[in-house]
Amino acid sequence: MVEIPQVAVLTGFGINCDVETMAVFEMAGAKAHRIHINSLVNGDDSLENYHIMAIPGGFSFGDHLGSGRLLGNRLRFGIREQVRQFVKDGKPVIGICNGFQVLVKMGLLPGDDDVSLQQTASLTLNDSGHYEDRWVTLEFNSDSHCVWTKGLSRMRTPVRHGEGKFVVPDQTVLDQYEQQQQVVARYIDPKDEYPSATNKPLSYPLCPNASMRNIAGVCDPSGLVFGLMPHPEANHSKWLGATWTREDIGEDWKGEGIAVFENGVKYAKENL
Amino acid sequence: MTVLQPQRVEVTPKSLTGLKDTRGESIRRQLASDHGLEIAEVRSITGYLVKGNFNDSHHEKMVSDLFCDPIIEHGVVNQYILNDTNIFPEKPDVAIQIGFKPGVTDNAAQAGLDGLKTLFPAQSEDAEVSTTMTYIFYGIPNDLDCQWLANQLHNPMIERAIISDQESCENNQWPTLDFPEPPVNIFGIPTTIDLEVDDESLIELSDKGLLALNLEEMQTIQAHYRDPMVRATREREGLPPAAPTDVELECLAQTWSEHCKHKIFAANIHHVDTETGEDSHIDSLFKTHIMKPTFDIAEKVDWLLSLFHDNSGVIEWNSEWSLCIKAETHNSPSALDPFGGAMTGIVGVNRDILGTGLGARPIANTDVFCFGPPDYDGEIPEGLFHPGRVFRGVHAGVRSGGNESGIPTVNGAIVFEERYLGKPLVYCGTVGIMPRRLADGRESHDKTPSPGDVIYMVGGRVGSDGIHGATFSSLELTEESPSSAVQIGDPITQKKMVDMLLKARDDGLLQVTTDNGAGGLSSSIGEMAELTGGAKVDLSQVPLKQVGLSSWEILVSESQERMTVGVRPEDCQEFEKLANLHEVEATAVGTFTDSGDFHILHGEQSVALLPIEFLHDGVPQLQLESEWTPPINEEPSYPQANATDMGDILSRLLGRPNIASKEWWVRSYDHEVIAQTVIKPFCGVNHDAPGDAAVIAPIHGETQGAVISCGIIPRYSDIDTYAMVAGCIDEAVRNAVCVGVDLDRMAGLDNFCWPDSVESEKTPDGRYKLAQLVRANRALDDVCRAYQLPCISGKDSMKNDVIMNGEKISVPPTLLFTLLGNHEDVRKAVSSDFKNSGDVIYLLGQTHQELGASELVTMFRDECGGGIGGIVPAIDTTRNLALYRDLTAAMRQELVVSAHDCSDGGFAVALAEACFGADSGCSVDISEIFNDSNSLDKWGALFGESLGRILVSVKHEDSLQFEEAMANNACFRLGEVCNGDEITITKSGETILQASMSALKQSWQATLDGGGA
Repeated sequence: MVEIPQVAVLTGFGINCDVETMAVFEMAGAKAHRIHINSLVNGDDSLENYHIMAIPGGFSFGDHLGSGRLLGNRLRFGIREQVRQFVKDGKPVIGICNGFQVLVKMGLLPGDDDVSLQQTASLTLNDSGHYEDRWVTLEFNSDSHCVWTKGLSRMRTPVRHGEGKFVVPDQTVLDQYEQQQQVVARYIDPKDEYPSATNKPLSYPLCPNASMRNIAGVCDPSGLVFGLMPHPEANHSKWLGATWTREDIGEDWKGEGIAVFENGVKYAKENL
Repeated sequence: MTVLQPQRVEVTPKSLTGLKDTRGESIRRQLASDHGLEIAEVRSITGYLVKGNFNDSHHEKMVSDLFCDPIIEHGVVNQYILNDTNIFPEKPDVAIQIGFKPGVTDNAAQAGLDGLKTLFPAQSEDAEVSTTMTYIFYGIPNDLDCQWLANQLHNPMIERAIISDQESCENNQWPTLDFPEPPVNIFGIPTTIDLEVDDESLIELSDKGLLALNLEEMQTIQAHYRDPMVRATREREGLPPAAPTDVELECLAQTWSEHCKHKIFAANIHHVDTETGEDSHIDSLFKTHIMKPTFDIAEKVDWLLSLFHDNSGVIEWNSEWSLCIKAETHNSPSALDPFGGAMTGIVGVNRDILGTGLGARPIANTDVFCFGPPDYDGEIPEGLFHPGRVFRGVHAGVRSGGNESGIPTVNGAIVFEERYLGKPLVYCGTVGIMPRRLADGRESHDKTPSPGDVIYMVGGRVGSDGIHGATFSSLELTEESPSSAVQIGDPITQKKMVDMLLKARDDGLLQVTTDNGAGGLSSSIGEMAELTGGAKVDLSQVPLKQVGLSSWEILVSESQERMTVGVRPEDCQEFEKLANLHEVEATAVGTFTDSGDFHILHGEQSVALLPIEFLHDGVPQLQLESEWTPPINEEPSYPQANATDMGDILSRLLGRPNIASKEWWVRSYDHEVIAQTVIKPFCGVNHDAPGDAAVIAPIHGETQGAVISCGIIPRYSDIDTYAMVAGCIDEAVRNAVCVGVDLDRMAGLDNFCWPDSVESEKTPDGRYKLAQLVRANRALDDVCRAYQLPCISGKDSMKNDVIMNGEKISVPPTLLFTLLGNHEDVRKAVSSDFKNSGDVIYLLGQTHQELGASELVTMFRDECGGGIGGIVPAIDTTRNLALYRDLTAAMRQELVVSAHDCSDGGFAVALAEACFGADSGCSVDISEIFNDSNSLDKWGALFGESLGRILVSVKHEDSLQFEEAMANNACFRLGEVCNGDEITITKSGETILQASMSALKQSWQATLDGGGA
């Protein structure tokens, strides 16, 4: 039992959601540490000192050569064994937005049982051709074993990306991910009754990037590694909602997004 | 084996089910949207030219692990991917390759180089990379000129293009640019400039050298070198005793430039008012009308921490944190290269925040642009871009700069008017936050350098880019304007530097910091040297992008992404270790001293020795003439209009670019990174109604907030700049009041952009333009005092003119007023959208017949001639402030569910916008507002722009309590929010305006739709 899980929130090279990602982990009951990736590479620090790893959103290396590509390589080539060991040790990992792109480009997501770090999917330019910031509604797969989304049904969060379209070379690969319940989060139309997640392409901007099968987030086979394009940390308090001034809020101002981090922290407390 | 030829890598998207070539498709859509050009298909190839010790064995890894995403892209090395008929089965009609010119910042190439170093550390030591983008066109119109097409895709000032026409494509001759080899710089030994010449030659020296110094200034410099004491000291230090070196003259020109010294605002002005008979002298507009009111306010409040002297003004926000704010303009560079100019604008002002005190963290950006009309169909002078293209480029630059830096763009505005065709105005603002005190007890808004502290240059390297930016922006734009003044920002290098310097601040390692902007090291070190009383710098230590730069070039180059900081000798080791961890270059280039001199060496040799006092205070005061005669404007003509016609007029007004929805553009700014944005640029049920001001809650989990708003109304300048400035300030305050600002803690920023207002051959109407500046400053003084709103920082840009082919285009006198205020509890913030049907609608504030220079009469003028004359809105600060205070109190009691300010287009536009946010209609009767004003007609009531007015809605059950709260103010109950598509406005039972809300919204959203999904 871990009383207060220690979270390594990675930073450097254009990651820019590190401060709020630390804040939400602390709101969820963990202790967050801002760790420059180079301090893991040069041995000043090690992932083994932490229970959870988070790769926040941002614009690492300016998204040049494909979002997440260069930072993914820094991890894949710079701290390969640390990362593999972390996952094999059964410790939870989350990548948000650029962090998700990093996890996909380095092959940790959708991943495989051996944690072989072979890329099998990608995230590419939105069909709209541009970056945008807009609020979407996500629906979570209740059959998924993803530790980060246990008990969650829907969530409103902003997306803020230009390269969020999840693609695989072959649709049968997606069938397989679905079968293994690795497709964790999809964009949906909030007007539809729950559950409404579907493989049928939703129109823009409900699905803001024309992602295959409306996929917003996936996990690895173990359910410990989770990545998603939308930003749950950006909805840590209700006053950050897109339409909160139109809602009757009452006394509880905790935002919908916190639940994701609470799940990760709870898992670490109970299992590590 | 060493391969000398660059390796040529090409990458293109695979054609998978559901995957598009999005880059190509974006170009296709943009050409359709901007030029109505129909092209069947556009595809794209990204190219990388790689120089380094790589051989065939590296190729596969280079492609699959770095340049190409194997899941979605094809990649090849040293082949033409266009020859692969599996990938490109059909011959294109034309292929165009775009690449950068030598020496231009290529961020993708830098990223690629970094990637190579990760994969092949040994081979990448001296590697170089450059990138290209090739567009492949299918199905182009027969008469399309390929060169014209290429011109739409690149900016010849910074980029190269090469075209393969249909015939070349048939023959597999593909466009192929060479590696952009930077020009060889030849180090020039510092030269001595003989100033013992006649006046004419002095002026010639200034003109030829782009020094932008006038005769009196040149004579002042001449006199300095005649001083026997000066000569003796110079001799001792091994400098030419009786004449400046080129390094010294350049350093003085930068420091004394209008851009850096604000000589017009500091001038002694003889002001005559032919209307009132006033004949007076003003000793510095800045001291008289900006500093003085602020210092007077500062005597009454305790939260003003740092005023005017630093890179931004600082206020105390609470006992733990301070906030600071600054806005800059980047007009000249944005005219020449809209993308690069705007990008360096935003990342540049971010550095002003980082360079405030011991360093603040940038947490919010504001962007305000003034462009020529996006649909302009007149002639564009040679050398200028179409305003639509300027708009796209500036927007993309600011988007890139802000988003990649992780700073949300929370507020802004876009103004369109023909006189911005020459110089667009690109205002970039940033808010920063810093702890009140550091762990070691020092207040972080104070700089604490001591003689002996080591001077570090941190971040990017110095190159030949950006030489003469400060002096260049102090001149008008002409055909000869140098391309070296244009740069492209590198947000990632800067982001790494920001992370590193803020950590250094928190670790107590910094004693002083400032940014390298205009004037480069010359300004940054020169300014900080004033604090200790001297500095000694060795230019040979400065890391360079390319060898061979001369001493003066190193000193004044404005290469981006650099800060200059001072570190105590005992902290240097730790400081350098931190820089190393963050992969940030930090180089010791000198030390602070108390010698009284700015002493510059290049290696062993002294190349400049300038007394600090002469450098900073030696510039002579300008003597200027100002004369005010009110302009005469033709009266507008109003059409006959029934209720439906009025609905149609409202619809056209909503479709005017100045009023139309900017959603397509604003949505591509990240306005929510940092997870703090409470009131966003968008509100309403569909997230598409306009917000009035931004509210942020920067400390996660805490409910104290900050409000950021702005005001800008250059139209009014055509009648009176006093009204223009009063209107701007009131607009910023009104916007802030709408979201619930704390009226007792607001600070302002004044950013003036003026046409040349010094009388001369080029500017025969200089006296009038200067009088406009005088009146503008008097309004600033009066209104800021009345609202107790101190200006804590600001900037002026005084030469917004272009002369092309002998034709001069000058911007209208323009002020941007930005407001930063406190918000006591963001949970009580109010948004502009109507909420529920049945809510009661009120108009607060008096409406007068004030249609002069309004958007309405400007529309009538544009549509069918006539003038814009009439009464321009006047300000009544006492009445407005009383109303704002009572409304704020009502908001704190949570009596108000929506508040929206009436500005461009007046009451009717505000009403429609509030309805957009609720998908509602409304039915209101405005008879009462007529009772309040004698001469009001329906035009004035519906579309007049009287100040101090706010449209609010209140829950039915709270309406009586609200009316009581507003009892001492003009408060008119107009009607209710209702379901349905109708908007109906009546007066004494007669319908005077009727329209369909969905049609109005369609008009409002269509004008500035940028195209695409």
